Amino acid sequence: MPDNKQPRNNRKKSSVGSRRKLLPWLIPFASVRLTLSLLSLSMILIFVATLEQVRIGIRGAQAEFFESFYGIWYYPDQFWGSEFLSSLPIPIPGGYLLGGLLILNLIAAFIVRFQWSSKKIGIQLIHLGIILLLIGQMITQAKQVESRMMINKGETSNYIERFHGVELAFTNVTDASQNQVVAIPQELLEKGGTFNHKDLPFDVRVRKFDRNCEVTIKQPDQSRQGLSKEVNRGVGFTSNLFLKEKEEDYSMDGLNFSFVVFDLINENESMGTWLALTHPAGNHVWESVSPQLADFAFQPLRYQGNLWGMTLRHEREYLPFSITLRSIANEFYQGTEIPFNFESRVTLNLDEKQKRDALVYMNTPLRHGGKTFYQYQMNKAADYSVFQVIRNPSWLLPYLACILVSIGLLWQFSFHLFSFLRKHKSTPRLA
Amino acid sequence: MFTTVAKSLNGLPPFLLLQAFALTFSSCSEEKEISSYEISPEYDGPVVAWKLPENWGENPDLSGPMAGSFHIKTELGPSGRIGVMPFREAVSTREVVNMFGRELGYENFDQNSLELILQTKTIGNKSFEWIPLTDQTDPAESRMVLLALLRKEQETWLFPFIADSPLITQEMNNFKKFLKSVVVRAGKVPIRARNPAALPSPPPAQSANGPTWEAPTHWIQGKPSSMRIGSFYVRDENGNELDFSITSFPGDVGGVLANVNRWLSQVGLDKVDESGLASYLSTVEIDGKSAQLLIAENDDKSLYAALLFRDDRSWFFKIMGESSLAKIEKKNFLGFLDTVCFHDH
Repeated sequence: MPDNKQPRNNRKKSSVGSRRKLLPWLIPFASVRLTLSLLSLSMILIFVATLEQVRIGIRGAQAEFFESFYGIWYYPDQFWGSEFLSSLPIPIPGGYLLGGLLILNLIAAFIVRFQWSSKKIGIQLIHLGIILLLIGQMITQAKQVESRMMINKGETSNYIERFHGVELAFTNVTDASQNQVVAIPQELLEKGGTFNHKDLPFDVRVRKFDRNCEVTIKQPDQSRQGLSKEVNRGVGFTSNLFLKEKEEDYSMDGLNFSFVVFDLINENESMGTWLALTHPAGNHVWESVSPQLADFAFQPLRYQGNLWGMTLRHEREYLPFSITLRSIANEFYQGTEIPFNFESRVTLNLDEKQKRDALVYMNTPLRHGGKTFYQYQMNKAADYSVFQVIRNPSWLLPYLACILVSIGLLWQFSFHLFSFLRKHKSTPRLA
Repeated sequence: MFTTVAKSLNGLPPFLLLQAFALTFSSCSEEKEISSYEISPEYDGPVVAWKLPENWGENPDLSGPMAGSFHIKTELGPSGRIGVMPFREAVSTREVVNMFGRELGYENFDQNSLELILQTKTIGNKSFEWIPLTDQTDPAESRMVLLALLRKEQETWLFPFIADSPLITQEMNNFKKFLKSVVVRAGKVPIRARNPAALPSPPPAQSANGPTWEAPTHWIQGKPSSMRIGSFYVRDENGNELDFSITSFPGDVGGVLANVNRWLSQVGLDKVDESGLASYLSTVEIDGKSAQLLIAENDDKSLYAALLFRDDRSWFFKIMGESSLAKIEKKNFLGFLDTVCFHDH
């Protein structure tokens, strides 16, 4: 019995010791030096990505440096010594690598370095909160989907469109009661090749897809060159469009016109070559750009007694509910054009009987079905409102992490405060 | 519990843990594939769909009011023209018939005269107004326009079939099958052709490589149409008038004898047989190619025509009208033929 009565402190130390013995390879990962190195590298990453943001825009910098294990940085031309250094590719550890290692570092420290005692429970909760925050961020980056929903006043919409990423959609509109949609996503269009699907009565052979281009309408007597010349059906042909490939614009205001040139194949024979072009603000805008181009929203194809509409549009997701825009209001700071408030009064239509009214305004979104609808844009003159729609399965994790960190901090400070007060109370006061 | 988990991890090389971590996140991005789903209809445009007979082809130069345009594949190439034309308003049958009738030399139809040619045909579950029109400027000509009108609430759909009469007869079953297969549904958005518009443009073979010419300055330009590539008329101070036309058709359109007899009858002359052709025909050169020149003069009416067969098509240059004026303009007509150029050599 007396052997079992080890001093309390020694027992804790031996608990850490036994964990170290069990997982010896985890010890290097628990190093404080590693933590500091990773934090320093994170600062370098942020610095480089900020510089690169000027060149490749926010989306580009995010994809290159944060949503990757490593990024390649070229020394800026404006900096000292660029004549020697600018051609040198410098690898920079990416967000996934640093984030992953930080999580590993924290978990390792948690296991092989921290004492699991009530005295230290605050610190453990703080670290647990930070681990949760990092994991949450990683899941968000991998799983979060950002879309938009545009609704005209008085109208109803039941789909959202991705900000980035398009799809080549074929819709059979012959049946007045139900329409069949077959959509080929951008990832497949980029790979190219011939696609078929049981619901599509013809094959689709992609000749060329790109994320941006420049389009001009040629005079009827002017001939088209290159890729444009291959197009012999649809708007691209009838409007005599000339297509010039262009680098994707990653900047915030960048407008990218994705395009695809494709053949429709019937029994190994091409029925023609079409061009489909997407407008960054939505294909309904083509009509106002030029009536000639309006068909880019719906290029008709009659095939075997059916009418199909073809369009290259922002990737669309249909919702099991719909939203009706009742009214919109915008307010500006007096005497300025700086927005003070945008708000949209909407009705959420769950089914025929279940409806719910809601007011969506800045920082007060509508949440439903795992999606959050934020007020994003509004045009009072044109009477429409645009919502930014976020689907983030890990949206609760940051809140949980903050709660854990708060409890941890509160515990730790309170513990020290009460210890101090107890100590202070027991110490005799000097007269 | 921890001890159990820790024991199971013991000895696991650290790089494996990192690899597992990397795999976890790389597998987070969903593998994209073709999606297929059903939605409630959101397309609010007009729906027009059909099944084409095997020997029909679509014309690629779809434009203007046409929702569809087809030809018949013949040994001599694309022939005839079938169209699908939507009309937003409930356009009257008379309005549509007159639009085509004028092209074929009909006087404007009134309700009574319209009823004489108007039929109703039920094909499948659709009822069509059925109006056959023949070429009145040239009764012996085989050109024909068959109009099928489908009425749907505020919407009217017109299916004109323009071709030589034998071709229309030959393709009648296919035309009916085509009409049976047609699905038409009005949309909310305006249809481009709101009012009766011009006939469909001529086939590409005629417009793309069409000839040019120089007409005498006193000839007044008429409107070209699907039938006429060039159109002029000449008037004198007494009100006498000559009509000049340039037309082109695939094939030989019945041959020289049939065409000559058709034209002779138009000016009141007796038909001839092969041996009698020589008394009306001579040879003339048009753009370096030999053509047949017809001189058919009668007391009241005269007709001069040149028949040129080139590139599997027949080209007719024809002037017809009051005899005295025709004789005056004969020299101008022959001079006109000299100016015709096909720009292919």
